[in-house]
Amino acid sequence: MTDSFQNLSIDSFPDISKITFKSIEKAFLKVILTNVSLVFTILFIGLFFILKYQIEEDISEFVPYFYIVLFLVFLAVLIMKIIGFKKRKYAVREKDISYKSGIFFKKMTTVPFTRIQHIEVDEGPISRFFKLASLSVFTAGDSSDDLEIKGIKKETALKIKEFISQKIDE
Amino acid sequence: MNNNFDFSQFSHQSKKGILIIYANLLFKFLKATWVLLFLFLKDFSKFTDQILNYIYLGLGVLLVLIFIRAYLLFKNFQFKIDNGYFVLKQGILKKTNTSISFDRIQNINFKQNLIQQFIDVYQVNIETAGSNKTEISIKALSFKEAQSLKSQLSSGDKKAIIIEDEIEEKPFLKISPLELLKVSLTENHIQSLLIFVALLVGLFQQLQEVFKGFGKDNLIDDYIEIGNNAFHENILLFIVLFIFLIFAAVISSFVRVFLVHFNLTVFKKNNAFEIYQGLLTKKSIILKKDKIQNITISHNPIKKKLGIYFVTFKQAISGKVNKKKDKLIRIVGCKIAQVEMIKELLFNYKNLEKTEKKLSDSYLKRRMYFRSFFIFLILNVFFYFGFENFKIFFINVLLIPIFIFLIELTFKKRFYKTNEDLLLVGNGSIETHHTYLPFFKVQNIKLKQTFFQERKKVADLVFQTASGKVKIPCLELSEALKIYNHTLFKVESSKNPWM
Repeated sequence: MTDSFQNLSIDSFPDISKITFKSIEKAFLKVILTNVSLVFTILFIGLFFILKYQIEEDISEFVPYFYIVLFLVFLAVLIMKIIGFKKRKYAVREKDISYKSGIFFKKMTTVPFTRIQHIEVDEGPISRFFKLASLSVFTAGDSSDDLEIKGIKKETALKIKEFISQKIDE
Repeated sequence: MNNNFDFSQFSHQSKKGILIIYANLLFKFLKATWVLLFLFLKDFSKFTDQILNYIYLGLGVLLVLIFIRAYLLFKNFQFKIDNGYFVLKQGILKKTNTSISFDRIQNINFKQNLIQQFIDVYQVNIETAGSNKTEISIKALSFKEAQSLKSQLSSGDKKAIIIEDEIEEKPFLKISPLELLKVSLTENHIQSLLIFVALLVGLFQQLQEVFKGFGKDNLIDDYIEIGNNAFHENILLFIVLFIFLIFAAVISSFVRVFLVHFNLTVFKKNNAFEIYQGLLTKKSIILKKDKIQNITISHNPIKKKLGIYFVTFKQAISGKVNKKKDKLIRIVGCKIAQVEMIKELLFNYKNLEKTEKKLSDSYLKRRMYFRSFFIFLILNVFFYFGFENFKIFFINVLLIPIFIFLIELTFKKRFYKTNEDLLLVGNGSIETHHTYLPFFKVQNIKLKQTFFQERKKVADLVFQTASGKVKIPCLELSEALKIYNHTLFKVESSKNPWM
């Protein structure tokens, strides 16, 4: 076999920072907000029961503060999710797929097609209502840490899956 | 001469295999019931002769039954090679038929435990890329059978094997007991101690389980209670314990190294290393060049003085099977020349040593100081609430220099180097590790940046390989992107198989 790649200069590498990433579907924000609201509803109910049945008399005057703190946390999480939502972006190139996310903890992952073991398209119950899906690709090794793009249209997800499968088979 | 055994028809293991299976079953039986046996022996004197006779009879019948089971297991265990597939029939009542195609076979290893050594048979393990269930072990084959099975299974072209056999004559590396002693004395004793303690804890828990069953669960706790009280009173005991721990640590690393690595011999073959080692259980492992994902070369200050290194090979972990231990293969006691040869064989590492050594950004140092400050704070809070005597805070005088020393050392040892095909990452604190990772073995790559890192324009790079992660923390963003792009390019344009 000949080494045909030896003499390429470093300048010719395709640059990941130059490509334009696509945002995920706007509708997915609703899914996130629904999920967060659900979790906090459960937390509120839990707090209600704990305060009602478990607590001794002498802290009863502080009870409203517990609700206020939980409500503030709820608001903070909501705001973080809304800002963070705009940062969730993905890109599919000729030979790899990338995803980036995060406000305070930015993360960008790229998986080359040649290393993909299998691809999954999942729909959660709430996502299905909005006709959204998530696309996961798995590589060898510790597959807990691979790439997942949540909140793209189901057709898009299937199209990407098809595209990648085709590329792998080439 | 190798292929003179015919595996095209179904064949059994060597007849001695019955013995191995029998011993195996007995061992399993003992392991499950040893506690009962122990309790039984305690009350031994209380039994009358008649009951004893029944007990002996019962034991005899049990032994015969186990033997029959072993015989049936042996009788029903048959294998053959059929047209590129390894076919295995097994099971007494529930028959299973497994067939594995040759290209799915990852490794074929030989193993010999004490009994197998004694009656001169080999256990052949066939590892596949896939789930745990498809791992096959044939318990007893004669050496010639085992060899010929191996060569037939791994044969695409038979010529290569014949050449390999000729090369096998002189070992690439052989570690004498004396050298092994040196290795074991310079091991990471704290690690050995932890393994030893973990073993003890496991045994302790098993005992506790049993006593719980008999309503005596306080028995062991009481002993510990007594120990605890004495501990508070007696500082001498503390010193004795300390010395004992050091002693236990050295002994346990000594035992560990000798058990696993005794008579370590490495042969170099065309595209593979063949490793033989072990005292009680002898093992032979074949490390194929393609299967190796990355290697780490390590030493510590004492080892460096003696000029010995150990090399850790990481192979691909198949599926979600978490048997990392098996996939980590260590060659201890390498000399520098042998390390060079291993690198030469595995990688294209020319120019690498000459390229500039790049350190991580000084932000890494700040992050480490910041994090250890937290640990420090927690420790002190613990001191405050945990001890009544405030002299305990004088420990800080000792702790602070140790923290600073370790952080400075860790930072100094963090570096990376790259050439066209290869990434070299250095890390470690007291020990030094150099990890060599060819770019094309990378499975996926991540760039991580916290809010603070973003302001400093630095980022962490994480390379995910089939055998775990390799990280470069806190390098300049532009540099990180360059490596990111380079890696992707290498992976996507590579035609070499990563496994």
